Amino acid sequence: MTSVSVPAGAKPSGPAVRLLRSAAKLLPYLYAAIGVVTVWWAVVLIAKPHMSLLPSPLLTAQTFIQLVASGELPRDAAYSVCRVLAAWSLAALVAVPLGFAMGRWRRLESVLDPVVELFRPISPLAWIPLAILWFGIDEGGKIFVIFIGTFFPILLNTIAGAKSIDPVLIRAGRILGCADDASLFRKVVLPASLPDVIVGLRISFGTGWAAIIAAELVAARSGLGYLISNGMEVLRSDFVLVGMVTIGVIGVLFDAVFRWVDRRCNWIDE
Amino acid sequence: MNGVAPSTAKPLSLRGLAKQYATADGRVIEALLPIDLDIAPGEFLLVVGPSGCGKSTLLNILAGLTPPSAGEARVGDVLVAGPDIDRGMVFQDYALFPWLNVIGNVEFGLERKGVPRRERREIAMRYLDMVGLADFAEKRPRELSGGMKQRVAIARTFATEPSIIFMDEPFGALDALTRRYLQHELLRIWQQHRKTVVFITHSVTEAIYLADRIVLMTSRPGRIKTLIPIELPHPRDPTSDEFRVIERQVYADLDEELAKSFRMEGRDFGRG
Repeated sequence: MTSVSVPAGAKPSGPAVRLLRSAAKLLPYLYAAIGVVTVWWAVVLIAKPHMSLLPSPLLTAQTFIQLVASGELPRDAAYSVCRVLAAWSLAALVAVPLGFAMGRWRRLESVLDPVVELFRPISPLAWIPLAILWFGIDEGGKIFVIFIGTFFPILLNTIAGAKSIDPVLIRAGRILGCADDASLFRKVVLPASLPDVIVGLRISFGTGWAAIIAAELVAARSGLGYLISNGMEVLRSDFVLVGMVTIGVIGVLFDAVFRWVDRRCNWIDE
Repeated sequence: MNGVAPSTAKPLSLRGLAKQYATADGRVIEALLPIDLDIAPGEFLLVVGPSGCGKSTLLNILAGLTPPSAGEARVGDVLVAGPDIDRGMVFQDYALFPWLNVIGNVEFGLERKGVPRRERREIAMRYLDMVGLADFAEKRPRELSGGMKQRVAIARTFATEPSIIFMDEPFGALDALTRRYLQHELLRIWQQHRKTVVFITHSVTEAIYLADRIVLMTSRPGRIKTLIPIELPHPRDPTSDEFRVIERQVYADLDEELAKSFRMEGRDFGRG
C-alpha cells in the first residue's frame, strides 16, 4: 500500500501544490455562501414576500451586475474603502507611537491611562451626531468617526505589546551594543512588539469597516452605507442586499490581507 | 578553530563595590556588602552562593546593567558605567531574539559594532561552527532545544570578541547530560579564546569542574566568604579523589551559609 512514502516531517511543495492548498482553504467559505443562498431562496419560495421586502437571490445578482456595470457600486465601494483607509492610517500614525511611549514609560501611562479608559467604552457610533455638528456631512466627519473607532484598538494592542517584552531581551540588546534608547527601540522593542501591533491594526480595520457603514447610513451622499440607506428609502431592497453582500466580501478580503501580513511578520509560535 | 585572532582578555577589579535597595516602605535592604576583588586577565572565576545572596546583582553591576550604590568596577582601565559590547553576557534563559534566525542572532552584536555585512556573516558562521551549529544557521530559535539555544547564545557572545564574559547560571535550565556536555564545550572554547570569564552557578561540581578560582559568597547580605583556587589540571574528573576533597571543603563552607539563609527565611516568615 505504501508505494509512495513521504518521509515524516517533509512537506510536499511546488507551486501547483501550494495553489491547490490555498484553494482548499476557500472551500469552507464557498460552503457557507451556498448554505446562505439556499436558505434565502427557500424563504423567498415559501413565504413569497413582496419584492421590495426580500428579492430573490437571482434578482439580487442581476441588480449586482447592473450596479457594477453602471459604475455605481465600484464608486460607492471605493468611497467607503478610501475613507476607512485614510482614517485608519491617520489613527495608526498617532496610536502606534503613543502606544509605544505609554508601554515603555510607566509615568506617561499612569497619566494617560484614565483618559483612555474614559473614552474607550464610548462606541464610535455615539460620536456620529457630534461629527455631523462639527464637520457637516463632508468627508471630515466620517474620517473623524473612523479615527475614533480605530484609534483605541491600535493603541491598546501596541501598549500591550510594548509592555509584554521579555525584560531579558532588553538586557541582551543593551549588552550587545544598543547603548541608546533609539537603537534599542529599533533593534529590540519594535520587532519584539510587532506581532501585537499588527493584531491591533487588523482588529481596528474591522471596527473601522463596521463604523464607516453606520456613519454613511446617517450622513453621506456616497459610499456603501449610502447605497443601503438610499435603497431603503426608494424601497429597493435588492440595492440594500447588494450593499450588504459587498460589505461582507470586502471585509473578508481585507482580513485575508492582514492575516497574510501577520503570517509574514509574526515570529510567535503557532 | 584556527584563524581567530585572540582578543586580549582584560583584568577586572572591584573596589568597595556594594548595593542597597530601598523598599517601598522605606526600609533599606543590603544586597551586597562592599566587595574588593581582583580577577586576572583570562581567569575563569566561578561565583557560588546560596540563592538570594546577591550573585546575580553582582553580575548585573559588573555588566553595567545596574549601577552600584557604592564603590566601582573596572575592566582594564575602563570604569564600568553602563553596558558595553566589550563585556559579553550569557543569560540563563538564553535571551535569543525570537524574530531573528540563528545566524541573525549571532550577527546582532557584530552589526552593532559596525562590521560590514559580508564579513559579519563569515564571522557568525565561524562561531556557529565553533559550537557545532553551522547547519542550523537559518533555523528559528524556537526550533532548537534548550542546549542548542544556549550554544547559539555562547556563539553570539564570543562572536563580538569581548574582553570579558559574564555568565549568569547559563546551564541552570538544562538537563544533567546536556549540562555536562556544554561545560566541556565551554571549557574547550575558553581554552582557545582565553577570555576573562565570571560565571555564576548553584552547582558546586560545575564550579570545581570549570574554575581557576571559586568565590564563595555568604547568604544575604552577600559578601565574599572564601576564595578557593582550583589547581587541578584540565580535564578534571569529578569522580577523582582530589576533586572529591575540594568538593567536601566547598560544601562544608556552603552548608554554614545555607543554614544561615534558611534561618533568615524562617525569621522573615515568622514576621510576615
